[in-house]
Amino acid sequence: MTTTTGPRPAKRKPRALSLASPQRRMSAILANSALVVVGVSFLLPLVWLVLAAFDPNATYQTQIPQTVTLDNFAAVLTPELTFIPMLNSLIISVGTATVTIVAALLAAYPLSRYQSRFNKPFMYTVLFGTSLPITAIMVPVYLLFVQMNLLDSVPGTILFMAASALPIAIFMTKNFMDSVPISLEEAAWMDGASAMRALGSIVVPLMRPGIAVVAIFVFFQAWGNFFVPFILLLSPSKQPAAISIYTFFGQYGSIAYGELAAFSLIYAVPVMVLYVVVSRGIGGSFALAGAVKG
Amino acid sequence: MKKRAAVAISVIAVGSLLGIAGCTSTPSDSSEKTIKVSYIKTDAFTALDDLFTKVKPEFEAANPGVTVELDPIAATDDDYKTKLALSHRSAETAPDVFYEDQGNVRSDAEAGYLLALDDYVAEWEDWSEFTDAAKQAGAGDDGKIYSVSLGTDTRAIWYNKTVMTNAGIDVPWEPQSWDDILVAARKIKASDPSVVPFNLYAGTGTGEGSNMQGFYELLYGTDLGGDALYDSESNKWVVGSDGFTESLEFLKTIYDEGLALTPAQALDPNIWKSVFGEMFPDAKLGGTVEGSYTPSFWVEGGSFEWPEYATEMGATAFPTKDGQAPGGVSMSGGWTLAVGSKSENPQLAFDFMAQALSFENALEYDNVNAQIAVRKDVAADDSYLGANPFVGAVTDLVEVTHFRPSTSIYNQISVEVQKASEAVITGKMSPAEAAASYDAAVTSIAGDDMVIEK
Amino acid sequence: MTAEVISTAQGAQSERRPGPQRSGRRSALKKISRFVRMIPLVPAIIIMVVFLAGPIIWSFYGSLTNAALSGANAANSSFIGFDNYVKLFNDPVFPQSLWITIVFTLASAVISQNVLGLGIALVVTRANKKLATIVSSTVVGAWILPEIVAAFVCYAYFSQDGTLNQILALVGLTGPNWLYTFPLLAVILANLWRGTAFSLLVYQAALNDVPPEISEAAMIDGAGGAKRLFFVTVPMIKNTITTNLMLITLQTLSVFTLIYVMTSGGPGNDSTTLPILAYKEAFRFGNIGYGTAIATILLVIGAIFSIIYIRAARPSKD
Repeated sequence: MTTTTGPRPAKRKPRALSLASPQRRMSAILANSALVVVGVSFLLPLVWLVLAAFDPNATYQTQIPQTVTLDNFAAVLTPELTFIPMLNSLIISVGTATVTIVAALLAAYPLSRYQSRFNKPFMYTVLFGTSLPITAIMVPVYLLFVQMNLLDSVPGTILFMAASALPIAIFMTKNFMDSVPISLEEAAWMDGASAMRALGSIVVPLMRPGIAVVAIFVFFQAWGNFFVPFILLLSPSKQPAAISIYTFFGQYGSIAYGELAAFSLIYAVPVMVLYVVVSRGIGGSFALAGAVKG
Repeated sequence: MKKRAAVAISVIAVGSLLGIAGCTSTPSDSSEKTIKVSYIKTDAFTALDDLFTKVKPEFEAANPGVTVELDPIAATDDDYKTKLALSHRSAETAPDVFYEDQGNVRSDAEAGYLLALDDYVAEWEDWSEFTDAAKQAGAGDDGKIYSVSLGTDTRAIWYNKTVMTNAGIDVPWEPQSWDDILVAARKIKASDPSVVPFNLYAGTGTGEGSNMQGFYELLYGTDLGGDALYDSESNKWVVGSDGFTESLEFLKTIYDEGLALTPAQALDPNIWKSVFGEMFPDAKLGGTVEGSYTPSFWVEGGSFEWPEYATEMGATAFPTKDGQAPGGVSMSGGWTLAVGSKSENPQLAFDFMAQALSFENALEYDNVNAQIAVRKDVAADDSYLGANPFVGAVTDLVEVTHFRPSTSIYNQISVEVQKASEAVITGKMSPAEAAASYDAAVTSIAGDDMVIEK
Repeated sequence: MTAEVISTAQGAQSERRPGPQRSGRRSALKKISRFVRMIPLVPAIIIMVVFLAGPIIWSFYGSLTNAALSGANAANSSFIGFDNYVKLFNDPVFPQSLWITIVFTLASAVISQNVLGLGIALVVTRANKKLATIVSSTVVGAWILPEIVAAFVCYAYFSQDGTLNQILALVGLTGPNWLYTFPLLAVILANLWRGTAFSLLVYQAALNDVPPEISEAAMIDGAGGAKRLFFVTVPMIKNTITTNLMLITLQTLSVFTLIYVMTSGGPGNDSTTLPILAYKEAFRFGNIGYGTAIATILLVIGAIFSIIYIRAARPSKD
């Protein structure tokens, strides 16, 4: 997995080399050993996950499997346990990302392009919304869903997840949009294009990497969300993988460690792969587009 | 002007809000009728799923145009009850027929989730086969019938004869007092420290089960007997009783001395699976309090097949504290089937339920799931009496059994009892402190005038 | 990648965009067009009003009722004023849970994630580049995992016969069942493991903007490593530290799944943070009104942090 480690090393390297004093070397050794300790500590819990998934006799211990098996995977790769919940996760995550992106793009356009006395209070309110603990409103959200007959409804769940992602998404999108020069649109306006056409044909294509960042960000949150579907989706046929894995754990977890690990891997791998692909593809802009101002 | 724009937007927003709220309930197609059936199905409990899977095609064949939608929920009892309560709130999600703990009937009836069945049972010829106790188990605070019992149970001490014999304890083992249990448990521990001598569930991990298979056996065997939790004369909750503290003290003794499971194990919601699946078959557990349905896990086709249980295991009554009359304690509960009050087809729902509870189906279910029959015709059937070697022993316990208080706030009180036993076994509170904290909680839930000092 | 939140948040206040009206296109339809051009905001506003603002208002109202999941109050809940709050402040579990929430947040986020994230970000600039990539990938890996998977992994790691005790056994120690004996410590470490990546990414980005010349100039002046860190680097990224602290505080306040899976808040209430308590009271014990009161308090705490965060995120010039 590529991360943003050491971006822009070119700027720094020549100086670093020229300063390669004994003191500098010492600090490099210290730095390396510190990193090894941190790396190993962070890696250890993950090692169990991978080893246990391939171990026919897995326990909670981290151990090298005596024989490597795919039985754990075969056992959990059933429609009930894996395929339907994974499909549900996909529907919910893609749905949430789509709704969020469309709404955020539309909202960001006037915020970014026009000045209005309305903008500032709106952005403050939205900023306030980004930091609300969503966990805290699940009880009233449940009651609201009962009232609106949206309980156990996938579209309803998608709308709520989109609502909770929107404040952040609007911010990110507006920021990306701000960096698209307005001059191109002005030319289009002169030609008589409407604002919406300018948005669709000029702005959106130019900020594609930014949209990808926001979409992936929302997708990740929806994919990993457990609590929201846990409360709002009741039928097993609609529940995402986060719930089926929890049910599985509750039922078999204390016995079927290997299958639990295999199941966890199957569920985690798509986002892992997506992260690698996207961070490679978009590179720096994906990781930290727009410098973090200090 | 800008202000007006903002106002306009909010008007649109609110309008659409109402629009969304107004148009989401879609009337279901009336030509096709669907009966939704919710119940628990786990790897360790498939008897009900088997029953409904069998009844579904029969019922659909007899009622053309009707679809039975089975909705098995894989969850612990507590998670299932939460899920069920969540689904009851909305007509869209509420099931037509569902599996309901007898202990929740009154509370859920009062909440308006259950359909009163009096008119339906009146025309049901099988209703007369149900015992009066079973009929009463499905009644609400208003005296109406809200659910029909699937079967009942009693609770006994189940002990491993090999473990007892190895520790030099004679079998059949018949403890006459709490001290007899301690003596035996200490003997077992001394003879083989790797064996867990005697398990009594406690804490919130196993939910209602920890009371039914643990604390209540103790509490109902103290001086106040059947009135130890809830005074039947004044209809008030008992606070400040010696029996409550004594029961907690007994729990503290067996947990502190390491005679029971470790507290960490006791709080694991799945620990009972290890008890049935590993500890008893491996002779690593002396005894535990469990329900009359215990053999259903070990029989052929059960979740933890162990045919030797018939000779390896023994069952005996849980003793009263000092052996006072009636000499034994048991608890009875059981599950029922109920019809949702929001059901669009209540008659069909009831018919489905009645068919699931017919003589043949009840007999099959009681035998497979080792339930104590609530239908007289089933109870008299030879195959029921011979279903497992313990049917006689556990049915005898009906004479010393107790039922949980039939009030709608029982469930909240139950949680407080679980919290008290958890506080004691984890060493957070002394028995006296936990009892005081329980008293305060009960007073707050029930109200000052609904508790009685004993 | 959540780091953009910080940058975008800080960019939010600067309305530097020249609107098209500046280009001199002023027509008679100006007033109407001003309204029309705000229409694209409507879908986002509706969604947020219905699904965020609605529940928040409902939360305040619901906490003043005795709504329940079962029993008479489920059928007809009634307005009971501030009774839930009175009960809450008299319930010994509430202060305990509040305290646990504070300890959990301070220890796992404000101290551990923040310091470790900054530490790693500083160290990787001096370390072997390959090693740095591998280590930060590992740290980020724990963060990319779906929360429930991370929770299972930590459950396995801290259980009686789990990996942590295996390691302790290597040096001759018999470890306890961490989830039972030290539940709060276990969930704090788990949250540290899972959440450090966020701070790491934020600080890596911020440090990239610190011109290397500055710290090296200080080094030539003879300033030691610690001095350079505290007198040169930290002041330069001060605002990033503030915003990062606020964000991770708010994220940690609402952690539910990790704790729910690892300990369910137990044993007793030893790891019951406010989100767990609200869930248990509302859904497990069926006291919807009471659970909502707890949730409302959590919302208020979150709102206070939000306001501090918004103030801190203002452009540095004011």
